[in-house]
Amino acid sequence: MGCMTKNPAVRRFIFRTLAASSAYIVLTVSIALFFYKFRPHGPLAYVLAVLPAVAILGNIVAVGLYLIEDKDEVQRSVMVELLLWGLGGVLVLTSAWGLLETFTHIRHFNPTYTYTLFWLCVGIGVPFLQRRYR
Amino acid sequence: MKNRLRVLRAERGWSQADLAERLEVSRQSVNAIETGKYDPSLPLAFRIARLFESSIEAIFTDEV
Repeated sequence: MGCMTKNPAVRRFIFRTLAASSAYIVLTVSIALFFYKFRPHGPLAYVLAVLPAVAILGNIVAVGLYLIEDKDEVQRSVMVELLLWGLGGVLVLTSAWGLLETFTHIRHFNPTYTYTLFWLCVGIGVPFLQRRYR
Repeated sequence: MKNRLRVLRAERGWSQADLAERLEVSRQSVNAIETGKYDPSLPLAFRIARLFESSIEAIFTDEV
């Protein structure tokens, strides 16, 4: 993901990611306030509750579009490696936490944070790949 | 896969950034190919060969 300013595919990816992340924050805060104030129930509550997931879908679409649009195949490969860091990390950590929940009295992990955990794992992979592909 | 990219580049007095600009890839990508950390696809290998007016086999060898 080098050439942050020159590569138009990277620029579009950053813009789309920021847009999706902003939408996620705005939707989550607004819906939390709406639930606090109006206490909706029934189908409306279900629809409102899952609405922030649309922003997450937007973020995933941004990643997919980047992989389609970037002409630099090495950078696409780096992105795929980073996604594997994220997927691998989140699978190992959530599975380990699940086992801990099953066999010990550890606190329940809220799956809402899975997506954040995924990007944290991607972030952990960044310095390793930067070192490899500097 | 080994390659002669560094030698060919040096013969022309190009930096990695110069070659990257000509291939429309990042400098990190040129470095990854040069050092054998990444094997280019066939289309990119053809682009490299055309740029150096050479054949793919003359630039890349399948030695490990």
